[in-house]
Amino acid sequence: MSVTDLTQRPRAAPRPAAYRQFPTAWRFALRNQSRNRLAALLLVAFVPTWYLLMQAITGHKPLTFRLYATGQVLTVNSGHLTLISAGLNSVTMIVGFAIFAAIRRTLAFDKRLVSAGYRQATLIAAKACSIAVIASAVALYTAVVLLAFWRAGAGGWLAIWAGFTVMALTYGAFGLLLGVLVKGDLEGFFLIVMGGLMDTFLQNPLGNPLAGRPILEWFPSFGPMQFATGGVFSHQALWGHLVLGLAWAAAFAVSGLIIFQIRTRTRRHTA
Amino acid sequence: MTATHGTVLEVRDVHKAYGRHRVLNGAGLEVRPGQLVAVVGENGSGKSTLLRILAGTLAADRGEVRLTGTLGYCPQEPVVNDNLTVDQHLRYFAAAHRLTSLRRADELVELLRFGQFKHRAAGALSGGTRQKLNLTLALLHDPDVLLLDEPYQGFDWETYLRFWDVVGDLRARSRAIVIITHLVIEQDRFDILADLADGRLTIRVATAKDPDVRH
Repeated sequence: MSVTDLTQRPRAAPRPAAYRQFPTAWRFALRNQSRNRLAALLLVAFVPTWYLLMQAITGHKPLTFRLYATGQVLTVNSGHLTLISAGLNSVTMIVGFAIFAAIRRTLAFDKRLVSAGYRQATLIAAKACSIAVIASAVALYTAVVLLAFWRAGAGGWLAIWAGFTVMALTYGAFGLLLGVLVKGDLEGFFLIVMGGLMDTFLQNPLGNPLAGRPILEWFPSFGPMQFATGGVFSHQALWGHLVLGLAWAAAFAVSGLIIFQIRTRTRRHTA
Repeated sequence: MTATHGTVLEVRDVHKAYGRHRVLNGAGLEVRPGQLVAVVGENGSGKSTLLRILAGTLAADRGEVRLTGTLGYCPQEPVVNDNLTVDQHLRYFAAAHRLTSLRRADELVELLRFGQFKHRAAGALSGGTRQKLNLTLALLHDPDVLLLDEPYQGFDWETYLRFWDVVGDLRARSRAIVIITHLVIEQDRFDILADLADGRLTIRVATAKDPDVRH
């Protein structure tokens, strides 16, 4: 074919691109999940207040305990240990609440989107990504605010931040699971608040003398708490415990997304 | 099995029970292109259950629903996201239907006169405007069959008339419309009035527009 042939052949008009499903769902899921004013208020006001209050109650007495993950006996500032518990507890409540509310309130809307032709896998991927972004942002903020109360050193702070991030991911995924399971707002909020309080404070040897008991290994905050305390007080990176926390996040997320898939499916009647 | 020749929606012997309470007991209906059908029944007669089965959001216990072409479904209560604006809803559903433009959406917004609220969050809209958005989302992809559950609740008189202009335009382009309602004010507008009672559909009026209507 010559150049002339090419220029003479009429060109087909370029087909306009359809609205793409993943970027659209990702953008709007993020917007929807971040539009919770109460969660934003909790984030700004509750996190520093909770740190302040918990540290004031605890004081700075030395506390000796055995770190379960390594068997090492540590003597630490009880106020610092409580700040880690308080930070973990804050992210469980704020992320759990924000994600639960966003998922539960849009379940019917998501079902309508699927009914209109949205691929469920795309919606699920977009939701999972937006939960990860919001959880990570809340964890980062909570870890940054901690610096106003305690300068733990770069390595220690990074371990705490990593623990907070995994905890936020876990409770974001827990919020997702409750959002597709629980019928009323009140039941969901109660489960998140009570679950988060029990989970995080039972891990603190100051509040619970039995914090070294094996049963606490089976709580979602065990891995992140061990990683954070091991990193900041004994300067060890307990990666296995961080992965254990991620496994909880993955288990909650997969369960929630399977139920989401079941609850939003539609039947197509075709001739 | 394929749909009977000339029908776009065929419902045969549909049964549905919630526990011991039988809601639908052999409901059947045939709808052709361009027809406007009203399914009329008292509160609790199973209208919304039937519509949800037709829309595919609820499974029937028994029976068949055959659809030819695309379907649009407008639920009775506006199913919208309070945190997203009208414009974001349109883009979200354009992505759901894999549309390449919002031309039809803009037409509908213009027809129903709520363009001034395009950048307002759905949670801040009045009941009537939420219902306009609810309807627009069902019509965005210009479906062959449109299922509407009490679509004009909350409309003022002018919007009610505009709604019928939209319906007239759809019928002129051979789109079939099934409206579920507990009250039919203007019977003359419809080709078929189907009463839902005791879980079955009975044709009450079939106008002269189409004397060959069966159910």
